[in-house]
Amino acid sequence: MATAADVRSILSIPSTSIAGPSQPRKPSVSVNRKPEGISRELYSLIGPSAPALAAQLAKPRLKQKPNLGGGGKVKWEWRKFRNSARSDSLELSHWVKASQDADAEYKFAKYDKKPTVYQWSQDEYSRHLEDSDWTKEETEYLFKIANEYDLRWYIIHDRYEYPNGRERELEDLKDRYYSVCRKLIRNRTWAGDEASRNALLLSFHYDKERETIRRKYVASLANRTPDQIQEEEALYVELKRLEQNERQFKKDRENLLRTLAGIDSGLPDIVEDDASLIINDPKKKRFKGDIDVPQTPILTAPVMKRPPAVNKNAVYDATHCIIRNDPPSNAPATKVAHTPAFMRSFKIPYPKAAIAPKVNSLLTELGVSGSRLVMPTQANCQHLESVMDAAMNLVELKKVLDKVNQDIEVLKARLELKDDMRDSASVADGMEEAESENRRSRSVTSGRGRKSVECILDLLLCYPNYFLRVVVQCLSLLLIPLSPLPQGGQESGKNARSLSYTGIIRCCMQLLLEVTIFDVELATCSAEKVLRFGLHWLYS
Amino acid sequence: MVNYGGDEVSALVIDIGSSSLRAGYAGDDTPKAIIPTSYGYISPPASSGEGDVTMGEEGVQEYTGKAKSFFGHSGPSVWRKNMEIGNPIVDGLNFAPIPALIRHALDDVMRCSAAEHPVLVTEPSWNTPANRERMAEIMFEEFQVPAFYIANTSVLNTFAAGKGSALVIDIGQSMTSVVPVVDGPSPARQSIDLYPYQLISSKQAVESNAPPRFTLREDRVAGTTQTWREWLVQHRQPKQYEFPTGYNTWFGPERYGVGENFFHHSPQLVAGNANVPKHIPGLITDSLRACDPELRQVLISNVVLTGGGSLFSGLGDRLAAELARSFPHFKIHAPGNPVERRYGGWLGGSILASLGTFHQLWISREEWQEHGKNIVGQRCK
Repeated sequence: MATAADVRSILSIPSTSIAGPSQPRKPSVSVNRKPEGISRELYSLIGPSAPALAAQLAKPRLKQKPNLGGGGKVKWEWRKFRNSARSDSLELSHWVKASQDADAEYKFAKYDKKPTVYQWSQDEYSRHLEDSDWTKEETEYLFKIANEYDLRWYIIHDRYEYPNGRERELEDLKDRYYSVCRKLIRNRTWAGDEASRNALLLSFHYDKERETIRRKYVASLANRTPDQIQEEEALYVELKRLEQNERQFKKDRENLLRTLAGIDSGLPDIVEDDASLIINDPKKKRFKGDIDVPQTPILTAPVMKRPPAVNKNAVYDATHCIIRNDPPSNAPATKVAHTPAFMRSFKIPYPKAAIAPKVNSLLTELGVSGSRLVMPTQANCQHLESVMDAAMNLVELKKVLDKVNQDIEVLKARLELKDDMRDSASVADGMEEAESENRRSRSVTSGRGRKSVECILDLLLCYPNYFLRVVVQCLSLLLIPLSPLPQGGQESGKNARSLSYTGIIRCCMQLLLEVTIFDVELATCSAEKVLRFGLHWLYS
Repeated sequence: MVNYGGDEVSALVIDIGSSSLRAGYAGDDTPKAIIPTSYGYISPPASSGEGDVTMGEEGVQEYTGKAKSFFGHSGPSVWRKNMEIGNPIVDGLNFAPIPALIRHALDDVMRCSAAEHPVLVTEPSWNTPANRERMAEIMFEEFQVPAFYIANTSVLNTFAAGKGSALVIDIGQSMTSVVPVVDGPSPARQSIDLYPYQLISSKQAVESNAPPRFTLREDRVAGTTQTWREWLVQHRQPKQYEFPTGYNTWFGPERYGVGENFFHHSPQLVAGNANVPKHIPGLITDSLRACDPELRQVLISNVVLTGGGSLFSGLGDRLAAELARSFPHFKIHAPGNPVERRYGGWLGGSILASLGTFHQLWISREEWQEHGKNIVGQRCK
C-alpha cells in the first residue's frame, strides 16, 4: 500500500512541505546534535553554523572534586612491626594501610641517631691523650656517660659521679671531652680532604677560659640586687631618652635644611614641572591676589599652603621690622623658578673672579670687610652692595684706562714716525695736493674736536677728581691733530682716519659711560651728549 | 598522625597520684579511667582481735590480699560496716594494693588486658630506683605486659606543656614539688626535695561524721586583721558550701586563705611546727639555686604550673605576683583547661607513648628476662 510519502517520492515532491501522518518527522537533532553549553532556543535560532560560539559558551567547569584515593575505600590492618632501632625482638602493633609493604623499614627508626663515639687504644692514649689531671679510667668514664646522655652537658655534669674522683666543673668535663676528640682527629689518618677535617676540628673547638669567664658574667648578672637592676634600668631608660633626643634633633635639622634648600627636598607647595598648563593659570592669578578664582580640588591643597601676601598687616610688619619681598608675579610656579628661603646677607653680589683680588684689596684699603657683615640689616646690605659695585667699576675703569694709555703710546709712536717721514719726503706734487686736503680736514677736525672738548669739560667739572686724569688724557688725545695714514692714497687715507677716530671716540664714550655710573643723572645726560657728539662726528 | 611523628601502638598510660589513679590509652587527651587511689577494705575478723585498727599507715600495712577490699568509685565512697580507708601513696609508698588498683582500672573500668598493650607508668621525681624496679616487676610479672616504661611526672608535665626545659610546679593533693627539667627526660635530680602538704586534704569532706573544719581555718588566718577580712569579704563573692552533715555556711576569704598557705606561713604555724615545709617561692628559689646559673633564666621563663591543687582560685595570679618580686623576667605556663592541669602528667605520658620515635625505648619482656631489674635504671634515665 503506497503511502503519501511514496507518492511524493515518485512525483519527486520534497517531503518536508507537508508531513504525512504515517511518517513522523525525524528529529533533526539526531543529525546535528545540539552542542554542549548552548541553550536549545539559541541553537534553533542560529543553527549549527556557530561552532566557535558554542565552544565559548561551554559550560563553566567547576573545581575538580578532590580525588580521595581511588575508590574511597582503604583497607587498614592491625599489623605487627619490628623497630630496627631496637636491639631486641619486641614486636608492637599498629594500624597501617594494607597496601603498605610488610617488610618495609620502620619509618621512625631513621631518627635513632647517635653521636660518633671516639675510642682509643692504650698506645694512642699514652702517646697523645696523657693528662696530669685525668686518669685513663676517668676519661673513659667521662666518654661513657657523655654518650649515655647524648652530650647533654648539664645532665652529664649532674650525673657525673666518678668514684674517688675530684669534683669536676662543667667546664672541666667539656674541655677534657673536646680536647681528647680534637687530638684524636688530628693524629689519626684522615680519609677525606683537609677542609672537612678542619671543619670537624672546628666543631670540637672549646675555649675553657672564655667559657669560665662567660659563666662568671652570667652568674654576676643573676646575682644583681634589685637596687642594681633598678639602676641599670634607669640608665637604660636614660639612654633611650638621649637617643630619642638625638633623633629629634636630627629631624629638626633636616627640616630646617629642607626649608633652606627647598628644591632638593621637595616642598609640598611646589608643583612639579610636568604639571599641565591648566595648573599654571589659576596659580598666576593667585599670586596677583585674586583669591576668588575657582580652583580644582587637586590644586587647592598645595596652593593654600603658601602664605598669602596680604597688605592688611602692614602695621604689624612695620612694628616688627618685617620687610616683605613679594615673589615675582610672572615667575611660573614650578620647581625651577622657586626661590627658597634665604638670608639677606647671602644675596650680596660677589666680585667677578677675574677682578676679585683687586676689588678685595681695594675694599680692605678702605677698611670694609667685603666677606661678612656683622649686622646684615637691609640698609647695611644695600650700602655694602653699592660700595662693592663702585669698587668693581673702579677696577674695571682702571683696566680700561691702562689699555687706552697703551693705545695712546702706540699711536704717538706712530705719529712721530709719520712726521719724520713727512719732513724727509715732501717733494712730490701728488703729495702737495694731499697735504692741502689733509690740512683742511684737520682744521675741521680740530674745530669739531674743540666743540666736543668743551662739552666734555663741562661734564668734567662734576666728576670726582681721580677721574680727571683719565679724561684729560682722552681729551689730549682728541686734540692731537691726526694726519691721515700715508698708505693707499686719498680714499684709503680718509677711511683709515675715520676708523682711528671712531676708535678714539668709542674709548672716550666708554670712559664716560663708566665714569658716569657713579652718578646716575649725570650719566644719562652726559652719555647721551657724548653719544650724540660721537655719532654726529662720525657720519657727518 | 604521621605528620606529628605519632605512631600509636595502643599503649596504656597509668599515672598514680595520691588522690586518683589515671589510666587510659596513649594518644587520647583525657584518661579513660579515673579512680580514687584511696580504697576501702574490711579486715578479716581474725585480725580484728587486735581491736579497732586505726585508719592510716598501720591499717595499710596490715592490708593483705586476704582482706576484702573495695576500689573505684563505689569503693571508699560507699558506706560499709567496719570499712577502713587506705591509700598506697600518702604516708609512705605501699605496693601491696597497687596491683589490685591497677587491675581494677584496667580490667573493670577500661575492660582491657594489660598483657596485650605496652604500658607506660609515671613516677614522681623523687622515686627511688628500688621503687621503680618494683613497679617494673609488678607490671612484667603480674600483668604480663609485653613492654614497659617508667617516666617522670615532671618531665611528662613538661611535655604536656609542649616544652623541653621547664620549671614544673606541681601542686597535688598531698605533695607540692618544684622540679627543674632540662632537655627532656633527664631532670636535675639533686635539687628535688620532698615537701608534703596536709592542708589540702583537710579541705575535703571525705568521711561522714567529720566535724566541720571551719575552726581549723580560723587559726590559719589568725595573722590577718579584722578590717582586712571585712574588706576582702566585700570584694570577693562568698560561696555557700554545704557539708555532708548538712552544716552549711558562707565562705568568703577562707577560700583564698587555704591557698595562701602555699605562699606564706603565719608565725604561729612556724612556731608550732619545727619542720614546717617551705612555701612555693622559697622552693623555687632553692631549686633554681641548685641549678647552673646559665639555666636559671631558661627555667624561670618556662614555669609550668600543674596539678589539681593549682586550681585554687587566684593561685596562678598570686604566684605571678610572688615571682615578679624576685625575678625580672618570667613566664608561667598554666593551662586554662582544668583537665589539663589535673591530668598533666598523664597527658604527657599519653603524648610520649604515642610518639613513633619513642617505641625504641620500651623495655621489652625479652630484655626484662635477659637483664633483670638493672635494665630499668639503664633505660629509664
